[in-house]
Amino acid sequence: MSGPPTSGPPAEITPLGDAALVVRSALAPGLRADLAARPLLGVRETVPALDVLTVLYDPLGTGPEALAAALRERLAGLRSLEATPGRLHVLPVTFDGPDLGWCARQVGLGEAELVRALEEVTLTVAFLGFTPGFAFLTGLPPPLQMPRLRTPRQRVPAGSVALGGPWAGVYPRETPGGWRIVGHTAVPLFDLGRPEPVLWGPGDRVHFVAADA
Amino acid sequence: MMIEVRRPGLQTTVQDVGRRVLALGVPGGGAADLMALRLANALVGNPAGAAGLEITLAGPRLQFGAAALVALCGAPFTATLNGQPFPLERAVAVSAGATLDVGVATRGLRAVLALRGGLDVPEVFGSRSTDLRAGFGGLEGRALRRGDQLGWFLWPEVTPPGAFLSPTLRTPTGPVVTLRVLPTPEATPALLAALTRASFTVSPQADRMGVRLAEGVPAPHDPARVSLPNVPGAVQLPPDGRPILLLPDAGTHGGYPTPLVVAAVDRPALGQLRPGDRVRFRVVTLAEAHAALRARERTLRGVEEALRWWYKEP
Repeated sequence: MSGPPTSGPPAEITPLGDAALVVRSALAPGLRADLAARPLLGVRETVPALDVLTVLYDPLGTGPEALAAALRERLAGLRSLEATPGRLHVLPVTFDGPDLGWCARQVGLGEAELVRALEEVTLTVAFLGFTPGFAFLTGLPPPLQMPRLRTPRQRVPAGSVALGGPWAGVYPRETPGGWRIVGHTAVPLFDLGRPEPVLWGPGDRVHFVAADA
Repeated sequence: MMIEVRRPGLQTTVQDVGRRVLALGVPGGGAADLMALRLANALVGNPAGAAGLEITLAGPRLQFGAAALVALCGAPFTATLNGQPFPLERAVAVSAGATLDVGVATRGLRAVLALRGGLDVPEVFGSRSTDLRAGFGGLEGRALRRGDQLGWFLWPEVTPPGAFLSPTLRTPTGPVVTLRVLPTPEATPALLAALTRASFTVSPQADRMGVRLAEGVPAPHDPARVSLPNVPGAVQLPPDGRPILLLPDAGTHGGYPTPLVVAAVDRPALGQLRPGDRVRFRVVTLAEAHAALRARERTLRGVEEALRWWYKEP
């Protein structure tokens, strides 16, 4: 067994069923990159969430104790929170969503001021999930964090830019959704015709810019 | 080489072993009964992950444009070939022009029809599986329709092995199914007791995303719980307390408490639950779950090796 990680509290590693381990650590993004660069035997895939990395393994290829020990060793070897810098995506957004006015009133700003405030935020792709290409974007300052709708909309149009709790997000396709829609973008987030069908990945940075100009 | 779909069945889709891009928000997909896929592929001499047709509850009628070697494994379906009884769990030579008519499942929900060579549809994220909700993979991202034509990779003709698989290899089907489960840290003693005390009825809400149970248990309410990655076989508890058992097309992340996860060895049985079945959860340890999986794997590899030997050219 190796010592505790060089920074932050020690990781918590718990089993999730008999074919996955959940690693809770601020170093989760670094661990994911490390496992991508140097795969561990028996690991099928890794799935990130906020400060979480779920490691799906083949129980016939490795055991949970051996895997947990290997993951702790990898964590200990990570150089603090030094994550590889992601790409920058500048997303043209038409700020005309049905909830824009509601959100502006919530913040006590005019709609144009709210748009400017949103343009100033650098968002980060925390993780992908919900539907192919949907990214949980983190980095909204608390005043711009909006409560979710009490009842989700049955149909949120593809391209909708929305705020929900601590998150911002863009709906890649029409789905139900409970976040506050402030605008829409024409940038396709999920396109199987592209070499990389999904626009972004964890760690990437995102800027919204008003498209009406 | 074409199959023409004369009748599509209730929901017939192209499936293989699925994808590994959960981190992109893309569900794993793949056959709901992976053991049926593996056995059917082994019977026709395919690699374990070749794409076949997953048949649900009521099967398709297929006309073969060329000679083929096929095998049907999984739930016990009635089936005929040119009007004659068609055996399950065996490699069957089909001549050009023949019609395979898959009827209904007498128990369970799904079977896999494998064709020697494997179905020829484009790969998406490394898999030929159909993702019905996202609308990609398989044949145009959808279930088969009447008039569809499906191609397969043509391999040299071979003499099929005469063997039937032992019925003990068949994935367990209802009407009463016990699933081995592993509790998670979210399983409080009270919740665990409620989930294992009684059996549950599989509700009509049962598809490739998940199986909803009809009866509820007192659900913990935790609005602060953040979305976490889902794993296959996870048992989610939405606020109404009616458990949802996750299948291959489930979303990649979920915000509901997940007190149980079905053991890997019983995921094929999970894929066979049909509305009206009774399901019971039996808690096992990690060691027990892994031992059961290893025992099953030894049996499967024995079958695969025997069949591989048969298909070896002399």
